[in-house]
Amino acid sequence: MSTAMNFGTKSFKARAPDKGSFPLDHFGECKAFKEMFMKCLSENNFDNSRCRLQSKDYLECRMEKQLMAKEPLEKLGFKDLMDPPPSPENRGSKP
Amino acid sequence: MLLLRPSLCCPLTSPLLTGCVRALHRGSPRAELFLRRRPPSRLLTRSGSRKSRSQEDEWRTKNKTVLTYITAAGVGMIGLSYAAVPLYRLYCQATGLGGAAVAGHDADQVETMKPVKERIIKVSFNADTHASIQWNFRPQQTEIYVVPGETALAFYRAKNPTDKPIIGISTYNVVPFDAGQYFNKIQCFCFEEQRLNPHEEVDMPVFFYIDPEFDDDPRMARVDTITLSYTFFEAKEGQNLPLPGYD
Repeated sequence: MSTAMNFGTKSFKARAPDKGSFPLDHFGECKAFKEMFMKCLSENNFDNSRCRLQSKDYLECRMEKQLMAKEPLEKLGFKDLMDPPPSPENRGSKP
Repeated sequence: MLLLRPSLCCPLTSPLLTGCVRALHRGSPRAELFLRRRPPSRLLTRSGSRKSRSQEDEWRTKNKTVLTYITAAGVGMIGLSYAAVPLYRLYCQATGLGGAAVAGHDADQVETMKPVKERIIKVSFNADTHASIQWNFRPQQTEIYVVPGETALAFYRAKNPTDKPIIGISTYNVVPFDAGQYFNKIQCFCFEEQRLNPHEEVDMPVFFYIDPEFDDDPRMARVDTITLSYTFFEAKEGQNLPLPGYD
């Protein structure tokens, strides 16, 4: 934490997270998904773009096990990973 | 030679004085000159006092106006110092100086933002603990490569090796400071008390993204490494930490 009170120097301003804090996964319910994600990362040279599917799975697990507020996945930035809607007149998001 | 000072405020003495001088220096031309040169003192005092009175009045009004101006300036300064607080806040918001609340940071843009695939940024992770907390806290990956506009997930691990439950609370820091305004956390484990039971180990995820406007900022053109650093402190009972607007 930067507490220097120098006039004019930029200091870091911590901001609260948008959706709050993750509840702790005390029982390791989503540990398997986490391990898959970490394995994917280590295989792909820690490139996040290649492991987005695994991160989506982890977050879905969290939502299922009540460790995260349920949100539509587009709001979490996974619009491109979602299945396209079956009918073209769907008034939801575009694929 | 008599060196007499004619007193202006004693009109009665002046004829006496005149008489005296005449008696003493009868026929002396100098004395006559002296007497003649002196104007009638009564007239002199009246005009003098009138002049001084009007001059005094002038000074008094001048002083009053000056005093009024100074008082007005003083009151104005005090008022300005009170008004400066909201004005400064507005100015900071408009210009974004000091890393304060920058406009354009809303949660809805997560849905619509497009990843900037050409700009790869390395996010490295750092974990610290305060000296008094006995947790083992470390990141599960040292770095991750992300692009702006794409959400990313990262994990930290914390273990409580002691026999007592410990409550920790964390804060974070992003270096470089300027890049911190583009670093948006959707969800993490900071600013809230986290309780670890004895000998418990948990995974702590951080779900974040880098604002796509990062790529447009000329100040960030040479930034390709961002370091995210979390620090855990021990939370004491009844302690209220200055959390950033987070309840």
